[in-house]
Amino acid sequence: MPTFASVAESCLDDVFGYLLYLTKDRPLAEDLTGETFETAFRRWRRFDPRRGTARAWLLAIARSTALDWFRSDARRRRREARVGVAELHAPDDTPLGEGFSPGLEAALRELTAGEREVLALRVVLEVDGEETARLLGISPTAVSTRLHRALAKLEERMRHDDVA
Amino acid sequence: MTSPDLIRELQASRPTAREALRARVRELTSPVPTVERRPASRLRLPRSAFVLAPVAAALVVGIGAAGVIGALGGSVGQRPGPVREPGRLQIGGGSANDTEKAQSASPPVSSVHGSAATLGPVTQGTPIAPTPGRAQQVDATLTVKVPDSDHVSSAAQDALDLTRSLGGHVQSASVTTGDEAQATLTLRVPVDRAEDAVAKLSALGTIVSQQVSIQDLQEHLDALVLRARSVRAQIVKIGARLESQQLTPEQRAALELRRQSLRRELSSLRQEIRSTHGVASFATVQISVVTPRSLGVVPAQSRLDRSLDKALEVLVWEGIVALVVLLVAAPLALLGLTAVAARRLYRRHEEDRLLATS
Repeated sequence: MPTFASVAESCLDDVFGYLLYLTKDRPLAEDLTGETFETAFRRWRRFDPRRGTARAWLLAIARSTALDWFRSDARRRRREARVGVAELHAPDDTPLGEGFSPGLEAALRELTAGEREVLALRVVLEVDGEETARLLGISPTAVSTRLHRALAKLEERMRHDDVA
Repeated sequence: MTSPDLIRELQASRPTAREALRARVRELTSPVPTVERRPASRLRLPRSAFVLAPVAAALVVGIGAAGVIGALGGSVGQRPGPVREPGRLQIGGGSANDTEKAQSASPPVSSVHGSAATLGPVTQGTPIAPTPGRAQQVDATLTVKVPDSDHVSSAAQDALDLTRSLGGHVQSASVTTGDEAQATLTLRVPVDRAEDAVAKLSALGTIVSQQVSIQDLQEHLDALVLRARSVRAQIVKIGARLESQQLTPEQRAALELRRQSLRRELSSLRQEIRSTHGVASFATVQISVVTPRSLGVVPAQSRLDRSLDKALEVLVWEGIVALVVLLVAAPLALLGLTAVAARRLYRRHEEDRLLATS
């Protein structure tokens, strides 16, 4: 049975990368990563290795944390829109990856969170289809379809940039 | 740029956490010493176990309760019915020896019951016999079972023939044919042949029940005879006095009256003595010939069968209760499940919407 410290050390980059792709905001991703590990630390006793890997367990907590943030952010936006407050949240311009071409960086930012999420899981973190499906709560076929669609969209954007 | 190129570039540019974040996470975990976990101390079950375990427990408890109730119900309170098979014998009040001793001491009544299934095996002859030389009223009642209605008639005929051959006669006879054929005969046989008669009548079929009762009449008869002798002696004495010439007319009239009364009494006593002799000379045997169908006999169940039947009965009741509970709870459970499913669906849509717009 691994210790929480060792699991945190080995999975930190994966969790952070996933959250960065999902939010496309580095400071926010860092905050959510911290929050994820705090939650995971509290729930560590509940972790059962027979039910899945520690990385999958952490990614599930990260996803839940991110979705909670998206919800609260959506509520905040609606509240601000009701009272006529202009957008105060400045988008983060730090790159998603290190060494991306500007075109890929821009194309990635144009994808939806759902598309970036499946790319992060299947391509960047190389989580297999079954585990991704469990994590997202959809079927493996839906994961494949979503991945294919995201890659096609990314390719399309890149081609468009090349032509431009 | 093609998809494989994109994938290569994405994988090559994997994001890494900054040192500050790493330190923050390390700080989160470092102050707390690693807790030694004991996997065995915590029972981890799959989700299905939370449904299956109570169901299995309920089944085990139900079957167990049914078994216990069945076992108790199967062994307690099971009394033999009025008619059982195969035959067994009960001798009331002691052994056959005791009964004979009691008879020789002239008990008013002694009886022997044969009731199948509970007691000892029924003997084919009379369990007790009248004592030779004593005036006794012998009554026997027996029920024999024959396989079917055809055998009822032949058994009844055999019984009549047997009675005649033993020097007896038929007091009453009733034979019913058909599906529920049955014959009831009341026979009178010489008391010294009673034992023989009961033994032979018992052989007409399978004995279902048998009862022989003997009532001693000797004491009563002896008393009657003594009284008759005394009365006769008084009559003779009064006759002698009347023949003497020294009586007044009043005395003579009184003696005449007294003699007449004694003669009437003597006549009555003689009649009673004759009647007692008559009762004591013939035994009354009542025989019923039945079929399993007319008897309505259900073969006696073993204790295991009874227990299983009882357990099954309890299980059926448990099933009925469970069904009622299910019928009452099902709409609520369905409502709950629908609510849970609807909530999940809503959250899924909401997540999709959030991820599509972010």
